[in-house]
Amino acid sequence: MNPTATQTREITLTVNRQVITIQADPNSPLLFALRNDCQLNGPKYGCGLGECGACSILIDGKTARSCSIPLKAAIGRQITTLEGLSQNGQLHPVQQAFVDAQGAQCGYCLNGMIITTTAWLDHLTERPSEADIRNALKANLCRCGTHLEILDAVRLAVANKFPEADSAATRQPQTNQPQQDQTSTNPLEENSPWNRF
Amino acid sequence: MEPILNRAELMAADNVLLLLRPSNPPLSPAQKASADQRPPEQEVFLAIHGDGRIIALNGHVDLGTGIGTALAQIVAEELYVQPKDVQMILGDTDKAPNQGATIASATIQITAVPLRKAAATARQFLLEQAAARWQCQPDQLITRDGRVGNPTTQQSLSYGELVQGQAIHLQVDEHAALKPVDEYQIVGKSAARKDIPAKATGQFEYVHDVRIPGMLHGRVIRPPYAGRDGGEFIGNSLLGIDRDSIAHIPGIITVEVIGDFIGIVAEREEQADRAARELKVDWKPSPDLPDINDLENAIRNNPTDKTRTLVDEGNIEQALQETHKRLTRTYVWPYHMHGSIGPSCAVADIRNDQVLVWSGTQNPHILRADLAFLLNIDENRIEIIRHQAAGCYGRNCADDVCGDAVLLSRAVGHPVRVQLTREQEHLWEPKGAGQLMEVDGGIAADGRPYAYDFTTSYPSNGAPMLALLLTGVVEAIPAALEMGDRTSIPPYQFDHMRIRVEDMAPMVRAAWMRGVSAMPNTFAHESYIDELAAEAGEDPVAYRLKYLQDERAKELLQNTATRANWQPRTGSEAPGSNRTGNIVKGRGVAYARYIHSKFPGFGAAWAAWIADVEVDQDSGEVNVTRVTVGHDAGLMINPDGVKHQVHGNIVQSTSRVLKEEVTFNEIAVADKEWGSYPILTFPELPEVDVLLAEKPEEPPMGAGESASVPSAAAIANAIYDATGVRMRQPPFTPERVRNALEEAGVRPKLQQPTSNSRKPGWKSWLGGLSAATLGTLAMVSPWRAAIPEITQPLTSPYSAATIARGAEVFAAGDCAVCHTAEGGIRNAGGRPLETPFGTVYSTNLTPDPQTGIGKWSFTAFDRAMRQGISRDGKHLYPVFPYTAYQNISDGDMQALYAYIMSQPAVSQNNPKTELGFPFGMRPLMAGWNTLFQSNTRWQTNPTQTAQWNRGAYLVNGLGHCGACHSPRNLMGAEKTGIAFLAGGEVDGWEAPALNGSSRIPLNWTEPDLYDYLRTGYSEQHGPAAGPMAAVVEEMQQLPDADIQAIAHYLANLDEAAASPSTRSTAPQTTAAPVAATTTAALAAVPATANSSTTMTNPLNDASARMFESACAGCHETRPDWFGVNPNLAVNSNVHSDKADNLIRTILFGIQNPATSELGYMPGFANSMNNGQIANLLRYMRSKFASDKPAWQQLEQTIAHIRANPGSH
Ligand code: FES
Ligand code: FES
Repeated sequence: MNPTATQTREITLTVNRQVITIQADPNSPLLFALRNDCQLNGPKYGCGLGECGACSILIDGKTARSCSIPLKAAIGRQITTLEGLSQNGQLHPVQQAFVDAQGAQCGYCLNGMIITTTAWLDHLTERPSEADIRNALKANLCRCGTHLEILDAVRLAVANKFPEADSAATRQPQTNQPQQDQTSTNPLEENSPWNRF
Repeated sequence: MEPILNRAELMAADNVLLLLRPSNPPLSPAQKASADQRPPEQEVFLAIHGDGRIIALNGHVDLGTGIGTALAQIVAEELYVQPKDVQMILGDTDKAPNQGATIASATIQITAVPLRKAAATARQFLLEQAAARWQCQPDQLITRDGRVGNPTTQQSLSYGELVQGQAIHLQVDEHAALKPVDEYQIVGKSAARKDIPAKATGQFEYVHDVRIPGMLHGRVIRPPYAGRDGGEFIGNSLLGIDRDSIAHIPGIITVEVIGDFIGIVAEREEQADRAARELKVDWKPSPDLPDINDLENAIRNNPTDKTRTLVDEGNIEQALQETHKRLTRTYVWPYHMHGSIGPSCAVADIRNDQVLVWSGTQNPHILRADLAFLLNIDENRIEIIRHQAAGCYGRNCADDVCGDAVLLSRAVGHPVRVQLTREQEHLWEPKGAGQLMEVDGGIAADGRPYAYDFTTSYPSNGAPMLALLLTGVVEAIPAALEMGDRTSIPPYQFDHMRIRVEDMAPMVRAAWMRGVSAMPNTFAHESYIDELAAEAGEDPVAYRLKYLQDERAKELLQNTATRANWQPRTGSEAPGSNRTGNIVKGRGVAYARYIHSKFPGFGAAWAAWIADVEVDQDSGEVNVTRVTVGHDAGLMINPDGVKHQVHGNIVQSTSRVLKEEVTFNEIAVADKEWGSYPILTFPELPEVDVLLAEKPEEPPMGAGESASVPSAAAIANAIYDATGVRMRQPPFTPERVRNALEEAGVRPKLQQPTSNSRKPGWKSWLGGLSAATLGTLAMVSPWRAAIPEITQPLTSPYSAATIARGAEVFAAGDCAVCHTAEGGIRNAGGRPLETPFGTVYSTNLTPDPQTGIGKWSFTAFDRAMRQGISRDGKHLYPVFPYTAYQNISDGDMQALYAYIMSQPAVSQNNPKTELGFPFGMRPLMAGWNTLFQSNTRWQTNPTQTAQWNRGAYLVNGLGHCGACHSPRNLMGAEKTGIAFLAGGEVDGWEAPALNGSSRIPLNWTEPDLYDYLRTGYSEQHGPAAGPMAAVVEEMQQLPDADIQAIAHYLANLDEAAASPSTRSTAPQTTAAPVAATTTAALAAVPATANSSTTMTNPLNDASARMFESACAGCHETRPDWFGVNPNLAVNSNVHSDKADNLIRTILFGIQNPATSELGYMPGFANSMNNGQIANLLRYMRSKFASDKPAWQQLEQTIAHIRANPGSH
């Protein structure tokens, strides 16, 4: 137990390649600063206990659960959120895979799924097995039961990274969608009317 | 982008075509009368603007199912435009029509109907407008891509052009000519969800993301009677709050208290969050709940408000006496959580008499009426702006949090966002209700279904908004609703049937949840019919087909059975005959149609399930391996959307049936996080095969819930097929299945399942390691170089005598014992070696160049043998005791190499060793290997060196380690001699022994000590926490040489400082020789584990599931995760005599690690009660330290530490 100081102080963060300075208690959860000070929608509050993955971000390229990490841990490190994965209006390949495989129902868990998959794939040097894929997302919860589409998405992303596609681990997604074959990326729709309905 | 006008603005606007209908909201079962008294007003369903924009409005909201995409398809189809041209507005009260709550999967089936007619009316109108301008007949014209055209004259006008300059208000024509289904271009084709790109990039704005200028942050504090909404104590239990208790937290704007409602508003979210946790509040004790953990009796004893007899055919009383075989059965359905992944959130802004609420509600119009009642204002002054939230599958706290937000915004006169915590959402969400189904009935002599007397008891689910109850605006009088009757009539032909529903008031706060009452009712119907089929000696599918009355149901069931390759059961094969070892396999079937809304209600889609399960009769674990679902929804607007809904239903209902059940303590709901209410995870997913019936000619049917409904019965019937035992109360957890198997005599009564003894155990193969055995699997490590490959000469350069000598060495070393698989080729490897850390597969030891060691030079071989480094530079798992082999003479080593290389090459790829949690961790292995090498180092210099002396000086002098790590005598002085560094206590933390009296499974080696002191973390022992984290942080200043000296000294402490008696109790502290010491240290783990007569397998009950859901995710090899993932198997605290350090860590987390690289751990003090933490500790002890005695008095210790958190 730490009776951590409540003093707010100036804290400089690097989030999605941008430097931002905020006034906050360095012991408060990083998630709150990302949601409120940085006004980011990617990392989501789910449990505050590291159990669900909704709040996932990348710290120096590794998955971290921002609900359970104090702000001070981010000082001097590179923070990347879901927003920062796409660059120049192009989706990150993992994001594209999730779009192609329709890997969301409500999509609240989607941030955690994409972030976790991204860091996991980045650290992989060999083609993972199906069990590896499932295990990588073992601690990411989804209530909508979107697991099958999410697994399809991860298999797509895996196949993109390890293109020799004949292994059993990359059997084609069960959904027979024409989009699967597309390798082009969708430009982001700014202010899309579909952002809310 | 043009702003979306609200209803009033649209009615006043120019340049627009509006399609209108008088409001006609359906009654919600929970709706108060006040909400119904408004005069009907004109509502807008469709607007076509002069600039060509098409806005379609629907009163139902998107609960995360992508319904907006399907609705846009419907409108686009009728209007001859593309779905992307249609902008859907769902739910906002100032814009969308009031079509009641988004329930019963009725959006497509019911609420889309007026929208479709509105689009058809609009198209007809546009045709007429164009015809008037061109002076022709409308039927000479066509519409395409948003234009009306005359094919003869080639004239065309866009819809916008036709509307420009006018303000046209048209009534929706209820008889508008609709586009014939066979001309559909858009509906019935899969469309990609349009919201997913925005959701996948963080662009989408959920209600959680609403940010209003000047917005403040609110948190609420809920009463202790969590999850209850009936009784006088509700709203009347607050004694007082201590505002001074949060005076130290900056940024607090106000604390609002009304009755039992307490809310805090602060400038920043973390301030409100912290204040809500730290505010001291006094409550009256709450009255006890009935014992809901004994649900059957709790429901039986809950008074019935009204018994409704829905069916009474034949003469049931007499028929029951006449049955050939009578079966009387009771089925119990547990309380479930909706379990939204995002706790509810809302923003309210009350200013200038206007109330704006941004909400994730399921029923915006009902919410508006509730808020008007709460604030005592006219509901026209309230506007609900609907945003998506986390998928809810029924009613969660989305409305409650709006009540909280308006009260707090009213208190401060600013916009306020209220975010509920995970704990609050778990505790207070209105639960999916428990249910009791009782069946009496049986078969006739010819086996046909004869009598069915069904009674279902449903404690209902009105769940008034919490703020209304807590503030006392509404009295907490539980009301009985009529909601237990969904799919209450079985689909089979019985000669005599009676169906009765006991409507009763809620026992705890409940609301509708996916498949409301239909899923439990079907569980009973379909389990029962399965029993009747078995009694009749008929195949369960054939029996159902014979007595199903609905032709469409028969067709679906037949097709599903065919798809799943159902093999008819003749009755000759007894359940449980499909067996491999402890595992029995089975298949089960169930069918249902979801009938929703007020009885007799409407039918939604049809669904049939075939489930395959594997049941481990020892552990009781049920693995649903495959699910085949047939689904008939008539015309599918968006077939992919339907498929995703079916998938979601399958996964979610499997989760509910296998794992889920709300637990209660004496007064309230007990589950506050995902460890105590676990849901299905990726590794547990079944394989899924879905068969969607193609029936475009049939009307579309709701697909949101139907596929959940047969799940429980299908799985229960499969368990029966596997084991011969009927499960009549989900969830089918290992402990429940074990009990059922024991009661049925299928499995002997045992304390715990025994371990699988078919594979060689650690202990048995450890004996085989007495001489040369080549190591098993290579690991990546950056530390060592590869030794170049060689090509073996065709003929051996070694003499026959050398090879013969090698054969002797080989035999003496029992190499083949490990390197030959059971029934496999000699020396080709592949034998699974069970270790406490997981299964390690031995490698191919033959000289095959690709799969064996054919490319290994002698140098590479020699290094592997002596140092544990593979030819390619990777580390070998220390299962291969290379340290023991470094003393083999050079000549023997040469001979061994010669012998192995002279043997026939066998090409055989062996299974890759994939050590599970936690030993697949690569850095762990690297560290472990360091252990061996470094011991070699200090072997060459074992006496008191300068380094040793420096270490002694630091430990005893500057470092004063003994201050914490030595026990104190009664005078408070450090004990010396044998007790020196034998463990002490500081700030409530146990400071473990640094000498040989420690309880840990692996000795503290010098590298461990070095790692721990330098980085705050040892792979073998865990992270520094509490005071030690601070110590390590301090020691960051020390030069490396000093840390090494401390490690060196401590590692050698026992030789110098401890008495012989200490030494003898700890095998790992044997002084010499060093290599033997190392082996002994390694052996200590399995040897003690196996020699213990009290050893049992880990607990396999709720505590195991709690560990898996709350702990295992992080405490597992995760090289791609920030921070370390401490391995609990070797964690010193798990092996200690006292649980104190572990309790502290679980309660308060690690928020100040020695260095931030280590990562952080949240505390669970607010999320788990003492009993839950005690169970978790028992599980961890049983899993990771089974050789140690169980900890005693855990609950008391936890309570004590909770009350005395200390300063670290
Ligand atoms: S919100 Fe961080 S893991 Fe759940
Ligand atoms: S899609 Fe809703 S929680 Fe995963």
